[in-house]
Formats: sequence, C-alpha cells, structure tokens
Amino acid sequence: MVTRIGVDIGGTFTDLVYFDEATGQTLEGKVPTVPSAPEEGVINAIRQHVPAEIIASAQFFLHGTTVGLNALLERSGAKIGLITTQGFRDVLEIRRGDRAEMYNLFWKQTVPLVPRRHRLEVGGRIMASGAEWAPLDRGSVEAAGRALIEAGVDAIAVSLINAYANPAHELEVERILRDLGFTGGVSLSHRISGEYREYERTSTTCIDAFVRGRMSNYLRRLDAKLRELGFTGTSLITRSGAGSMTFTEAEERPFETIMSGPVGGVQGAVELSKALELSAVVTADVGGTSFDTALVLDGAPQILFEGEIDNMPIQSPWVDVRSIGSGGGSVAYVDAGGLMRVGPRSAGAVPGPACYGKGGTEPAMTDAAAYLGMLGPGDLASGITLDIGNAEAALKSVGDGIGTSPEETAAGIMRISSAAMAMAMREISVDQGLDPREMTLLPFGGAGPLMGTLLADELKMNKVVVPPLAGNFSAWGLLGADMVQSAALTRILDLVPGCIDEIDGTLGGLFDTLEARSDHHADAAEKSARLDLRYKGQEHWLSIDVPIEGGKLGKPIEVIRDEFVAEYARTFGATMNENVELVSVRAATAVRLPERAMGTSRATAGEGAARELLVYSFTHGERRPFAVIARADIDGSLPGPAIVTEETTTTFVDAGWTIHIGGMGEMILNREVQQ
Amino acid sequence: MKRKDPVIHNAGQAGLPTAGTADPITTEVVRHALNSAANQMKRALVRTAYSPVIYEVLDFAVAIYDDKIRMLAQAPSLPLFMGTLSFCIEEAVKNVGGVEKLDPGDVLLYNWPFGTGSHPQDMAVIMPVFHDSGKLIGYTAIKGHWLDIGAKDPYCTDTTDTFQEGVIFPGVKIYKKGALNDDIFRMVIANTRVPTAVKGDLDAQVTGCRVGLRGLLEVVERFGLESFDASVAHMFDHGEAIVRSYFEKIPDGRYVGQGVMDDDGINPDKIPFEVVIEVKGSEVTLDFSEVPDAQEGPVNCPLPSTISASRVAITMLAGYGEPPHEGHFRPIKVITRPGSMFDPEPPAPSFLYGWPALQAVEVIYNAVSRAMPDAVPACSGGCIDSVVWWGTREETGEPWTDGAPHPCGQGAWNGGDGGTMLHIGESATRFTPIEVWEQRNPWLIDQLALAQNSGGAGQWRGGAGIDLHFRMLEDTYITTVCERSKTAPWGLQGGGEGRPNNARILHPDGRLDDRPKTTRYKVPKGGVLQLLTGGGGGYGAPAARPKEAVLEDLSDGYISEDFARANYPHAFE
Repeated sequence: MVTRIGVDIGGTFTDLVYFDEATGQTLEGKVPTVPSAPEEGVINAIRQHVPAEIIASAQFFLHGTTVGLNALLERSGAKIGLITTQGFRDVLEIRRGDRAEMYNLFWKQTVPLVPRRHRLEVGGRIMASGAEWAPLDRGSVEAAGRALIEAGVDAIAVSLINAYANPAHELEVERILRDLGFTGGVSLSHRISGEYREYERTSTTCIDAFVRGRMSNYLRRLDAKLRELGFTGTSLITRSGAGSMTFTEAEERPFETIMSGPVGGVQGAVELSKALELSAVVTADVGGTSFDTALVLDGAPQILFEGEIDNMPIQSPWVDVRSIGSGGGSVAYVDAGGLMRVGPRSAGAVPGPACYGKGGTEPAMTDAAAYLGMLGPGDLASGITLDIGNAEAALKSVGDGIGTSPEETAAGIMRISSAAMAMAMREISVDQGLDPREMTLLPFGGAGPLMGTLLADELKMNKVVVPPLAGNFSAWGLLGADMVQSAALTRILDLVPGCIDEIDGTLGGLFDTLEARSDHHADAAEKSARLDLRYKGQEHWLSIDVPIEGGKLGKPIEVIRDEFVAEYARTFGATMNENVELVSVRAATAVRLPERAMGTSRATAGEGAARELLVYSFTHGERRPFAVIARADIDGSLPGPAIVTEETTTTFVDAGWTIHIGGMGEMILNREVQQ
Repeated sequence: MKRKDPVIHNAGQAGLPTAGTADPITTEVVRHALNSAANQMKRALVRTAYSPVIYEVLDFAVAIYDDKIRMLAQAPSLPLFMGTLSFCIEEAVKNVGGVEKLDPGDVLLYNWPFGTGSHPQDMAVIMPVFHDSGKLIGYTAIKGHWLDIGAKDPYCTDTTDTFQEGVIFPGVKIYKKGALNDDIFRMVIANTRVPTAVKGDLDAQVTGCRVGLRGLLEVVERFGLESFDASVAHMFDHGEAIVRSYFEKIPDGRYVGQGVMDDDGINPDKIPFEVVIEVKGSEVTLDFSEVPDAQEGPVNCPLPSTISASRVAITMLAGYGEPPHEGHFRPIKVITRPGSMFDPEPPAPSFLYGWPALQAVEVIYNAVSRAMPDAVPACSGGCIDSVVWWGTREETGEPWTDGAPHPCGQGAWNGGDGGTMLHIGESATRFTPIEVWEQRNPWLIDQLALAQNSGGAGQWRGGAGIDLHFRMLEDTYITTVCERSKTAPWGLQGGGEGRPNNARILHPDGRLDDRPKTTRYKVPKGGVLQLLTGGGGGYGAPAARPKEAVLEDLSDGYISEDFARANYPHAFE
C-alpha cells in the first residue's frame, strides 16, 4: 500500500482522490476545470485538498486528461504534413466510403487533419509479403521533404503502403528528412501501429503527429509544477486501452492516451470486481451530458484494438466503452410527430436544469428526478438547493404538448432515458454473447446511482453494487492503473504446429520493442500475449489470450487452436469446419502498482435516523413513502424503498429492492423477488 | 403483347384498430426496445458471416415485422434492401401454404426475384415468431447477398431470363420445427460455386433471425401483447405524421424527374425514363407507369425494389434521420405498370436490378428538385461501380473470388460541397482497405486517388470521383457494372456536371479497353483494371463560389488551373 494521488479532468469538474497510506483512508475533492490551462486545475485541486506531507510522501501521481482529445476535437494541434506512397495521398480523405449517419443525405465527412496540399507522395513500393516491388525514390522524398519544410510544418507523418510488413522505406524516409535538416517530429506509421489497414494506420499516425507537441508541452509543464509542490514520485497518465504509462512514455506515444476520460471508471470497476469477486459486471457511468457503459468480465476490461474520435479511427488498444448522449442534463422535447424525446441535447452547466434556478426553462432529466423526489428533499449535499417549482413549470411546458401531467411527464423522461441507456448496455453485453440478467450492475458518476434500480428493472438484473465514492469513482479508479505497454504486428499465416518459431520470433521482436520503449526493465514486468485468430476466409477475428514462458508461447499450437474454437462457439453459438489463421500477434507488459486498500469516504454522518418522503416509485407507478438516509448512517442493511444521500451523488432505491452495506463500504442492492 | 394498366401500390400499410390505447411514453420505450432487437440481429449476422459482402459491404437487410407484416424496426444496413423484406415474407409464407402451415422453429428460404425484388443471389431467410400462447406475433427476416447460387457466371451483366441468374428457392423450409431440413440444405450446397461461404452465411442469417426472435419476444413479454400492439400502432402513426409534415411544406403539383440508363447489358442503346412525383397535401405519389417496357437485358427492377427505392428516397428526405418503420411509408404511393422495366414480369432478367433502382433514387430527387431545389443534393456519381473478380491461384491452384462496390463523388447542395463516399443507396457500406486486398488477392494496387476536375463546378462543388487502379499479378476474370457512363451527373441551380463513371482495362501491350459493363472479361497477368468513378454535380452558379475557395481547391489540386480558369474566371480577376 503506497500513498498516491489521482486527478481526473472532466469537462466541468476536475476530480481528485488520494490514498493515504498512513491512515489507510481514501479522500476526495473537486474543483472547477480550467479549460484554458488544465494543469492549473490539477494543481489547484492538489493544493486545496492534499496536505503537503502527503504530496511529499506520494509515490505515484495518476492522471486522466482530455488535453489530447480536445486538441483533436478543436483542431488545435500542430501543423502537419503527410508523406505517402505514390498514388495514395488521398487515402486519408477517401476513408472507407461510409457515412456515420446513414439516413442523412447531407452528412459531411470529417475534414482531414492534413489538407491535400500538405499530403505528398513518394515513389517506391513494398508488397503485402514485405518484398520490395520498387525501391524508394530518394529524389521524390527529398522533394516532398523540402516542400513540407518550406510550408513550415511542425511535424511530418509518414505512412507507406504495407509498411507493417516491411518498414525499410519508412525508416529511409525518416533518415532523408533528417538529412534535409528537418528537426520537427516525425511519426512513422509502423512505429505507431504494426497492423494492416492503411486508412486506419494513416489516420492514427496523423493523430500522433498532430497532438504530440501539445501533449508533450502539457505533460512537461504539469510535471514541473508537481515537482514544485514537492512531489518526488512517478507521474502516470491513463491509456485509452486501460492501465497507465509514464509521462515520458506518453510523450513518445501520445495517441495511446487520447481516450483516457472514461477509462478511470472502468479501471475502478476492474479493481472492485476483483475485490468483490464479481464475475460479470456492466458499468453505468452517468454524468451531465453522457452515459458510458462497459463490461468487466472475470476482472478484466474488454479491450478493442481500434477506437474512433470524431469519425477518425485510431488503431490502438481501446477500452470498449459505449457512449450515448444521455445524462442528467439531457433535455426533453416534443418532436414534429408528437412524441416526447429525451436528449441528446443537454442543458449543460449553463443554464443547467431548470431546478438549479440558473435560468434553465427546458425540462432536463435532473428536473424529472427532482420533481419525483428521487433526489431527496431538495437540499443536495453539494450545496445546491433544488427549485421544484421551476422543475414543475419546465415539465408542464413539455407535458402540455403530449397531454400528460408534470408527474407523468417526469416519470416518462426517466423511463425513456433508462430505455436508451439499457439499449446500449444490452448491445455491449450481447456482443459478448452474454445476457445482462446474469450480470451485476455497477452504477457511478454523479447521476449513475440515481438510475441504478431503474436500469436493473429495464434489463431484469437482480443485483446492483453502488461503489464507495460513487460520485468520484473515475478518479478513484485511476489510483489502481498499472503501468502497461503494448504492441502488435500483423502476420497472416496458417495456425499449424510448424508456425511456432515464426510466432515466437514475432513475439521476441515485440517484447524487444516494448523493452526499448518502456521506462522500466523488462524483468520487472509481467509479460502477456494474445493471438488474433480467425477461420481462414473470414475477416473478423477473436483475440485469444496465450500464456508466455521465457518470452515464448507457453502452450502448443493445437491447444491454442482448440481454445479459439471454444471461444468462437461461446461467442457465436456455432463453429466452422475450416482451418484457423493467425492475423496479428499482440504483446504487452505490465508493471503492477502496489496493492492498496479499498478505502472508504470520509465518514460524513448525516442526521442519524431516516426521514420519510413521498417519492415516485416506478415499481408501483405512483408515489410511496421512501426513507431518506445518509449513506454513512445505514446500519448494515435497510429495506427499500429509500433515497440514500452522500456528498457527490444520490442513490434511488425503488420498492422491491433491499440495501446491504458490504465489507468494503460498497452498497449492494438486491431484488427481493429474483427475476 | 397488350400494354397492361398501371397499378397503385401503398408503400406502407394503413393503420389498423387496436384493442389498447398507448401512452406516448411507453411508445417511445417500445420503439427503443425494437430498434435494439434489430441492432442485435445485425451484430450477430455481421460477426458470424463468412463473406466480406456481408460483414464489410453490408449487402443485407435485417428487420422485424409484426404478424400483419408491418415493419417494426430495421437495423442500419443496406438502405436499398430496406422494406423489400415485407414482400419476401408475404410471398414465402403464401408459398408454404399460409400462416397455418407455420410452426415454431421453422425457417424459410426465399429468393424468387419477383417477390424479393432482387437477383436470386439475394436470399431471404425468414423466421416466424410465436408467442407462448401459440399465437403468431411476427417475423424476423434477413435478406443477404450470397456470393453465388448458380448463375451462368459468378456475376452477370448479360442474362436474358431469370433462369440464367441462379437457382430458385420459392419459399421452402430449411428448418422444420427447429430441425435442419437436410434435403433442402444439400440442394443449396450442390448449386453454388462457393459452398463454404454460402453455408457460413446461411448459418449467420439463421443465427441473426434467432437473436431477433428472442428480442421481439422479450419486448412483447415485457409490455404484454395488448400494450405492445397499441404502442406499435402509436409508433406507426408518429412516423407517418413526421413524413406528412415534410410533404405539407412542398407545394402541391406534379414534378417530372428524368433519368437514363446507359444500356440494358445486351443492346447498346440508352434507355431514358421518367418518374413523376405528385404531391397533394401531405401525400406523395411516385408514378413509374410511363417507363419503358421490360428490357431484354438484366436492368429490370422487380416491383419490391421499385417500392423500396421509393421508400429509401422519401424517408431519407423526410424521415429526419430516424431509422424508418412502416409508419414512415404510409403517405407514399407508388404507381407501376406490370410488364415495364420497373415492374417486370417473369421470366424477365433482373440480375442488375440494383442499378435501375439506384438511378430511380436519383431521379426521384431530380423531380423533387423541380419543386424545392434546396431540399436535395445535385446528382451523385450515381453508381456503386461494382467489380467482381475471380480466378485460380497460380501457386496453389485454389479458386478465389472477391467483389466490391466503390465510392463516387456526391452531389453538392445548398450549403455544402459534395464528399466522396458510397452511393446513398448503400450509405453504411465500407470498401476494402488496399492492404487487406493485397493480402488476399494476387494484386498490386497502383493508386487510390481523388480524380482531378471530376466534381461539378459550382457555388458548392460536387465531390470528386476516385481513380482506383488494380494491377493483376495473375490472370483474372472480372465482371464490371458501372452505370451512368454515357450521361454525366447533373448539377443544380447552375452547378456544373460531374464526371461520368467508367471502367477500363490497360493491357500489358498498352491497349486501353473501355468496359463499364462487362461479364467474364479476362485481364491477363500484368494488366491493370482502371476504375474511374463518377463525380458529383455542383450546386449554384460557379461565379458565386468565393475566390479563396477556388484558389484553395487549386492549390489542393482538386481542380487544375485550366479547369479553374474555365469555370471560375472571377477567381483570377
């Protein structure tokens, strides 16, 4: 157990959680985000909430940030050039030809990160086998390099066709660019990703070049400020694909941290499900504007190997988090056909929900919850006093349009929101061949615990676990992010016993790459590997975990093949009578952070005994008396219905559910009559 | 033969009385649940399918219907297949002897072109859904493109009757009460050039339908049959109201859209045709009755696809970006003349049915533009520029085959330049990465580039077509299907025309052979197939395009200096 500090920057708030080894306690804090200088928000949070001696004794600072993401979304990264193989500079613009909104005749493709005039082509060609079809044309590289230098680009992305199979030409392009005196960043596609699919790899390489300078500056500034505060430990940032990397590592591979936002919550879910031995967990992270859901199975997050930002693919490990635009701020309205819809538009922080009394007049989900009594008597622990009259007026404005009372409208908003959220949860589960009914629901974020039993009812789930520090759970999750590095290489061949040497050779190369890239010695790290396998002739693959012994495959090929077939049957319900083919080899190293205790929140005792309030019960379809009680005041267990309050969130426990406080401070909600 | 009288078809079934009354909130919840069930069917299909044509091209449609065969929900897939499934279910069920002959666990196969609207390769797999009470409550269905089911060639542009186009399964039970019907299964396998792929894709379709069945049952169980029925009725009324509210804005009148097909695949003559849109209040009628008679070659579009193209065109326009269902179709009427190329009768060939259907979508927008030029984009490249390749690998002697549609330039509209993507009729489809192709096939791809000057000039410019050159490293046979190679995509409101489509073969001896539409053409080793897809039309007078935008296009090389000076002289003043 080692003292550590976690800071997660969100759109509205910068959340802080730290674990104090001396007391075994986990403490939390929140400050407003400073969009113009996010590191100021981080430093403010630490200054305000963490005693100097804790800062000095902390061994790790763990960070989740949207700096890279925002640079991409706002197009405020570097001025970059792109060098491609002759004939392929438009790959970045042509994409894969599809529309993100298929029913939209006027859908516009995302403007490429590099304008066409800065996408230049060079002669020379590598084939899919890795053989050279035509040698690199040095003259064309020099011409392209000079033109880009002339144009004043900050960084150059280089993405040549089939570079994953043979990087020689890309390496040569880099040498020539340096010979020409180019001193800016050079991103070579094969270093970014060893996987095939030129559009996805080129897009990732351009993103790397685009955000690198900005991320690097940010991380250096932040690190310097942390040192000024007396921090002497290791600074880590979370990866889009779970785990963390050091700031130095992140400067080299910034694109791997782009989607670190929702990862903290998933990371926390992983740690909690291991501690509580929950085999299948589905998360429900509900914030102001968005809902994120992810699966944690047998203590492992579900990792994809490609993500997407603003319709730009990123070929990099990616926690499988599904997001929809639904949250506490989502606004209800009546559409052209006379049905009530909720979201994705959000009332945001300004004006916010009507009940916050900051000028909002449209009914948001929070107004519905407040009106129904789901948030308790109206004096939120965070200091906001809810204006139920405002909420009612807003609800009436929409209810009049469809002929429903404010009460019916409010209940409807909650039901429509939970149906939309449940749809995302159902789909992420079904993709894994799983039925949500067999799983545990883990709600967190400001509005997650409010939706817990509603979502469970929607999905016929029987168990909900509201974690400790549920409102700040994402920041808490950061504290357990192990240091991880990963790399992959596409190597298509038949999976037969004779290929073991080739696979071992590929693995050896990947582990060498990781060793070179990592700040830590390989012997300190746990090695792991996966093989992406498919039936020959198919395109989609399953990634199969394989054991490693001495840096090599620790299992015979036949056994791995059988495991693939079993996994295929589990996922798809059938198998095929075809040969199995290797697509890519994946290697990863992990350096575990020291274990920590599942600390609980500061014990903010409430008023002791429960109060009673008439609150809308979805089970009964009408108001019923609910107990209102502070979470810290629950003594062991309590029958529902109840409203449970704590500093950063409120839990709505509908009739038909009972509350039980677990050994780690988690609040377990069980359905009285199992479905 | 005597010319038959036109027939009026309702594109959507009218409302039916229901026992319950639905509140608007339950209706919205039911709508989410049904869309979710349809999406799950699609995911199961895509993840288990064998062929890229399913998992990448998305050449399928997935939908859930109620017992009256009204569409409840459809997952995003191939829009042009949208809504043809209702006809498939109706005909397949009729052919097995009606609903009383259906049992739980049955699965039907159906591919008669005049009932599916497609070519025989498009196989509908249909599963009736029974409630615990024994009542039939609906159907799940997936129509998917099989790589081959026994046409004269793997892909054809020159058939002259339907029997050259594939083996027909006229509504037969591939599963009876849950058990595989081995007789039928062996018939399927014996009649395809690629049995492994077809078996894999059939399995995936059945898996998808089962997932949908569970999803539909779950929704019905949760809300109860009565409340479910009432909600669905309300949902349909709502979709109908949305589309009607759109057409109310269009001035009443008759608007004529004009289109032309290059040829019928057999005879070289162009085939002009007209579609008339009549808007009256909130109703819209699409009149195909004056189109030419059915053609000798396979460019005939059977009735279900004519109605489907009409549904696609209208709901894309008036559906506010929502996944469509039966209600959206209700304000739409379609008039066809039996025996014409948009309502051919057996045994007219229809292998290329999709191409007249795509043209029909553009022509409908052409007609709408006469009423409201701002409501639609200019003509797109107008084609999916499909190519099918096959051959035998030199080293292993293994047969191989591949096929793909390709992006073209999109039409500009009032407010936006056109992009480069698949035709709206295949709007969710992706084409294959170069590196995947080169791993799989004996090719070296010379270029994938935006074609200079290919998009129409205008205040808003049309999207560029692409130049995609495939160098064959081994002897290869190809079938190409490029429409709109003789007639350029139109601009709107003074915008310029886009470049027409073309496919040509550069032989090793330097000979260039234009082959926009050809079957079983041998490209020798070292030959290059040059696919040149069309550009989109421009919108608005080029003189209104800001000078800076013109100069930027010039410096980006989207246009050449000659083109810029000819079309945008104001930028050089």
